[in-house]
Amino acid sequence: MEAIIKADRLSKDYKIYKDHKGYLGALRNLFDRRFTLVHAVNDVSFRIYPGELIGYIGPNGAGKSTTIKMLTGLLVPTSGEVQVNEFIPWKDRKDYVKHIGAVFGQRTTLWWDLPVRDSLELLKHIYEIPSDRFKQNLDSFRAILELDAFMDTPVRSLSLGQRMRADLCAALLHDPKLIFLDEPTIGLDVVAKQRVREFIQFINAKRGTTILLTTHDTADIAKLCKRIMIIDHGKILYDGEFDELIKYYGGSRVLSVEFAEFYQDPTIDQAKIIQRDGVNVIYSFKREDISASKLIHQLSEKYRIRDLEVQDQAIEDVIRDIYENQLLYN
Amino acid sequence: MNAFFATIHTSFRRQLTYRAANLSGLFTNLMFGFFRAAVLIALYKEQTSVNGLSINGAVTYAGLTQSLIGVMSFFHWYDLMHTVYDGRVGADLLRPINYFSYWLGIDIGRALGALIIRGLPLFLVFSVFYDITLPESLIQWNLFALSILFALLISFSWRFLVNLASFWTPNALGIGRFAFGLSWTLSGFYFPLALFPDWLANFCRLTPFGASLYFPIQVFIGNVQGAEIMQGFFIQVFWVVTLIILGHIVLAQGVKKLVIQGG
Repeated sequence: MEAIIKADRLSKDYKIYKDHKGYLGALRNLFDRRFTLVHAVNDVSFRIYPGELIGYIGPNGAGKSTTIKMLTGLLVPTSGEVQVNEFIPWKDRKDYVKHIGAVFGQRTTLWWDLPVRDSLELLKHIYEIPSDRFKQNLDSFRAILELDAFMDTPVRSLSLGQRMRADLCAALLHDPKLIFLDEPTIGLDVVAKQRVREFIQFINAKRGTTILLTTHDTADIAKLCKRIMIIDHGKILYDGEFDELIKYYGGSRVLSVEFAEFYQDPTIDQAKIIQRDGVNVIYSFKREDISASKLIHQLSEKYRIRDLEVQDQAIEDVIRDIYENQLLYN
Repeated sequence: MNAFFATIHTSFRRQLTYRAANLSGLFTNLMFGFFRAAVLIALYKEQTSVNGLSINGAVTYAGLTQSLIGVMSFFHWYDLMHTVYDGRVGADLLRPINYFSYWLGIDIGRALGALIIRGLPLFLVFSVFYDITLPESLIQWNLFALSILFALLISFSWRFLVNLASFWTPNALGIGRFAFGLSWTLSGFYFPLALFPDWLANFCRLTPFGASLYFPIQVFIGNVQGAEIMQGFFIQVFWVVTLIILGHIVLAQGVKKLVIQGG
């Protein structure tokens, strides 16, 4: 299958200017400007295929937004090549943008002081969407996103969740083959997040829309993305299946125990105490070192236990481990 | 409906939702209108005409300029600048539209809204209190309408250019204040240009500011005839074309800078 996005050795450098200090410095700034070169994106290559739903993650300042901006044509790469379908985004921006959609969780693209409906109507004309197609899409999105309750409410009066649903609808009315979702669940409550996720899943599965999703919410990734790319310091650290990553790096599990009495030293081989509070002790252990049942058996032979619970390490912790300990560099 | 007219329509509707702002704007413009009329009447004293401008013409001048403040948004407009600073410009550049036309559409919608809820009511109220001069023929009305349309195009293109400064500097507000101060002075807003010294008045007439405020009002009160009208329209068209071309050139440079340096 032909890739929909081809990025080859893509790099983007920014100049960060440093000012000279003081009055004379201010004068010097006019002629002699010092700067440091920041490699926001550094020699990044990847392929994205039609119909994929890819999670693009990384800590703040890792290079996610810069990549997205190059893919949407808002930034010219310093070096390397990017091609989306037959377009080179930054060169063919005006033709190219007809075929993509974008949602930025941090800000709306809707008209703040007008009812949702007005913004959607305007998009119909901007993208020259045929009336019947527009109606079909709008009817379908209205039903799934439950927009009817606030179609005639000014955008400024919407809750964050409602606004995000309206923005999602707005980004999809012109049937883009590819959409960029930049933190679409940011700031939403659990219910609203779930709604947004279901919708993302729906358009990916039912309409075959290719989706590149950036997020800080690992639950988004776990629920939606088969494949993820992790970027940090401008480099892609991992590009592959999410499940694989968790299997490799997320081996540790957690056993929380409530003992029936207080023990001075409730240590046990092959498990590490990570937290202790009176009779409550939390152990961490590796799947390949010892099975949960064996560990519980050993514990119950030595100590009296009132209650216990086994959990896999939270995905979030796995990802944090990867960022903080730079596990993927090795 | 094409994208341009749809944008005008949407922007018009938005302008109508700003009820409180429109009403307070109307009230302020009206009060200053009365004040300016009073000053002019005091200045004229027994004279009926100064430099060919009658007292009624001068009072009409005050009322009309006050009515047009909101419509032309001549002296205060930073809307585009704000979208550059808060990042909305990115989303706008991801739309398949001509960025200049898009903002022009927004501005025409805004101007129409302001005309209906600020401009016209103000002029009506003004005409109740003062003896004002109206165009005497249908042709004159039409010429006035045409000159207002060109005036809006000039005014918008100028404001567009000024706002584009934000593509280069993180604080273009100062540039804006200076630029709008310039248009305020040279447009003949404070006082009819006819009351200025000749050399200054003639210079102002040639600027885009005189062309977008002073000239339409001269047409309205019938203070220009024949060749002078032709000349006025010629200056207007010159500025419309020049500023639109300039706007596109500067915009292209600004976008280039934005996509290369990442704004």
